[in-house]
Amino acid sequence: MAVTINVNGQSHEVDADPSMPLLWVLRDKIGLTGTKYGCGINQCGACTVHIDGQAVRSCNTPLARAVGQSVVTIEGLSADSSHPVQRAWTELNVAQCGYCQSGQMMAAAALLAQSPNPTDAQIDQAMDNVCRCGTYLRIRSAVHRAAELA
Amino acid sequence: MALMGKLAIRHRPLSVNRRQFVLSTLALGGGLMIGLTPYRESMAATSAKPWEGGEGTEFTAYLSIGPDNIVTVRSTTPDIGNGTFTANPMIISEELPLDWSLVRGEYIPPERDLAEGGKYSTSGYLAYFSGRSTEPEKLHELLQLAASTRERLRQAAAEEWSAAVADVTVEEGRLRHADGRTLTYGEVAEKAATVELAEEPAPKPRADWAVLGKQSRNKLQMPMIMNGSTVYGIDLKLPGMVYAALRQSPVQGGRLKSYDFEAVRGLSGVRGVAVVDPDEPRAGLPEGFRAPFGLTASQNGPQAAIAVIADSYWEAQTALDLMPVEWEAGEGARWTSTQTFYDHLSDRLTNPVDPNIVVAEGDAEAEIGDAADVEAEFLTPYMDHFTMEPLNGTALVEADRLEMWLPTQHTQQALFVGADETGLHPEKVLVNQTWVGTGFGRRVYNDDTRMVVAVAKTMPGVPVKVVWSREESMRQGRYRQVMAGRFTAKLDESGMPKAIKSSIAGAGAGHMGIANSPYRLAVPNWLIQTQNVNSNLLTGPWRGPGWNSNCFMLESFINQCAEKAGIDAIEYRKTLLAEFEDPAWIRLLDLVKEKSGWGTDQGRGIAQGVAIGNWGMGGYSSTAPVGFSGTTVATVVTAEVSRRGDIYIPRVDLAVDLGSLINEDAVRQMLEGGVVMTLGAAMHEEINLNNGRVVEGNLDSYRLARQNDPSLPLEIHVHFEGLSNGERFSEAGEPPMGPPPPALAHAVYKLTGQWLNRMPFGRQNLA
Repeated sequence: MAVTINVNGQSHEVDADPSMPLLWVLRDKIGLTGTKYGCGINQCGACTVHIDGQAVRSCNTPLARAVGQSVVTIEGLSADSSHPVQRAWTELNVAQCGYCQSGQMMAAAALLAQSPNPTDAQIDQAMDNVCRCGTYLRIRSAVHRAAELA
Repeated sequence: MALMGKLAIRHRPLSVNRRQFVLSTLALGGGLMIGLTPYRESMAATSAKPWEGGEGTEFTAYLSIGPDNIVTVRSTTPDIGNGTFTANPMIISEELPLDWSLVRGEYIPPERDLAEGGKYSTSGYLAYFSGRSTEPEKLHELLQLAASTRERLRQAAAEEWSAAVADVTVEEGRLRHADGRTLTYGEVAEKAATVELAEEPAPKPRADWAVLGKQSRNKLQMPMIMNGSTVYGIDLKLPGMVYAALRQSPVQGGRLKSYDFEAVRGLSGVRGVAVVDPDEPRAGLPEGFRAPFGLTASQNGPQAAIAVIADSYWEAQTALDLMPVEWEAGEGARWTSTQTFYDHLSDRLTNPVDPNIVVAEGDAEAEIGDAADVEAEFLTPYMDHFTMEPLNGTALVEADRLEMWLPTQHTQQALFVGADETGLHPEKVLVNQTWVGTGFGRRVYNDDTRMVVAVAKTMPGVPVKVVWSREESMRQGRYRQVMAGRFTAKLDESGMPKAIKSSIAGAGAGHMGIANSPYRLAVPNWLIQTQNVNSNLLTGPWRGPGWNSNCFMLESFINQCAEKAGIDAIEYRKTLLAEFEDPAWIRLLDLVKEKSGWGTDQGRGIAQGVAIGNWGMGGYSSTAPVGFSGTTVATVVTAEVSRRGDIYIPRVDLAVDLGSLINEDAVRQMLEGGVVMTLGAAMHEEINLNNGRVVEGNLDSYRLARQNDPSLPLEIHVHFEGLSNGERFSEAGEPPMGPPPPALAHAVYKLTGQWLNRMPFGRQNLA
């Protein structure tokens, strides 16, 4: 079944079951692989995207939920990696393997949109994405730094 | 399916206008030889796909300069987050100034090593990432290469300008004449490769280094990570590719009994089913070829498995989940619960069966008798690697050729596993190293590669991407080696151990970090025995393998001896280390003592624990202490325990001696990450058995450290003032896995009077 969704400001017609998780629509149908598969059960956050500005875990979000909404992925966070979160992540050399970081940055961007100067407690609450390389302390510092850069 | 487009380009014969020159460094009597090598075709490169080569003049396999002035620096060592892609260009830039925006990382693939007589695997295997990525030999080779290339570029530019070489200077990416004219490296690279120097330049003395150990550089791939363009194995797309979802026998070692593909054949996108039969004989390798890690059933042998192949991964996985499948559990089913196995382990400690006596110095048995002063039994469970990128790989099997795209840690092992699984000659196998969503050892054996090829060979001519779901990745691990240990000691009048007995049983139970502990110099009687005991679960290297258990057991035990003796645990260790040749151990203990405020009032309800160890010594001697080698780590963990029994870690101090640094911030990053991973694992992680099956399948049942975890350290302070700064450039990834857990256990003991001898610590009620 063909449905149209808006991703990063572009309209995409996709032929997929409306129950197909948005994650796999983005990755395998639209070809945006910056959004990652980590657990598939809403737990790790590697698949975090924005739907109408809210951080959403796309692995458990059916395609149908995204229809008529504005979806933003890491590829669309900024045109040139100039989003304060991307600048802060680069400045603090946060990433190790990098696999979880698109989800981390999407979660951070949504947090900062809501709370421009988050406390550590707010960061801990909002940023419960898993990073197996253990970059958590740099992530926390980078969220604060992004708040300064914004 | 015919091979088309980009896939084929690489194998076209070399054309004259794309010559690649090779300078072989130093090996030939000091002079550099220049030759032409007909090696794999170049393609327009993009670093998002690090297996794709750029065009350019090749000075050696490690360095090319393109007409676009892009300098390609190659590595044999997969960058799994450890920064090899960045370390090698940094080394080059010490002698050949580079415009960092024009640097590209690339791999020397294993087929090139094979084609060129194994010259990139002279240590016996192609460097893979599980340590020692910065060998001094490689460092010196790269420095010489960079200096020699620089002088050739200068001379080529001088010829271009009909000027004196002395008037040509180098700056980042370009050559400058004294009168202001400039040329890029790329503009003279081809000419430079033909230059014959009267004498090869000597790299600058170490005292003059301006980059190595002096500057830190972000990873080259950071810009791609920032915008999501990095192509990990799971992100690969090839023309005509199909997807497979895999299920292996839920009881490791079991067999496939029956399945009903007809039930799912008609589902959307489904193409077919593939069965992997472990009992079908494999080809083996031709005479004279050897896989670095061997080809063994337990490491990378085929598992009974079934896979559904479809047009997308989602469709494949959905059909697989719906397909009726029955399994023959086999032997493993006798492990009805984890406790059944733990009881078995404990029994083997009490009643050893033909133990391996690793060390028998003096007579520990007689000294201790049945009156040990200190006694403890430890357990470190199976753990999953939980690589953020689930296991996957892509293979294209054809009649006379196998090509693979793999997020592997060991391309050379992958090559031979692929040859074995297809029966193709190793020279017919190509390996493309993708970016890797972490490894920690999980991707070294290449059992994942085996299964990828086993599935893909059922669809010859079609590239097949095989993806393990998270549940499949977690339930088909090569788990952290479970280990149990019983330690007993007799103390002398001064409270120091005069006899220790260390009995260890577990999967691949080793003695690394115990038999070569420098404490042995101070303990006259020491018996170390090991027994290899396992369930049906397959195990493998897990960041700091063996040592991450042994360091925990030994250091916890030393803390227990110190507490029993009533002696400060740092002073206790300094006494034990007094005769050791390498002063770094005591220096690091003093450093963490000072930096952490050890011995000062930490406030009510706060305590500190200590531990020290060395990773890498095993490479030099596994049974005797050797100084000035590997990486020594001393740590003080500051902890609090709440009334509810929750552990909080306000601060961790870590002092290291890995010799010298190349990229300081990269090392700091690895050490910080290691502290988080090892403490999180010690607190929460355990893989359990139920009738031979793995219970945990995902994050709803397998807990990992997170940002909001109470026991996540709030601060990690890495101290480099204790570096010996010699010729040693040892590793940073595995060393932090050892000391933090025993230091945490020590701090918790001081607060609660309870020793955390069993991981995961979180299971022990401290309230």
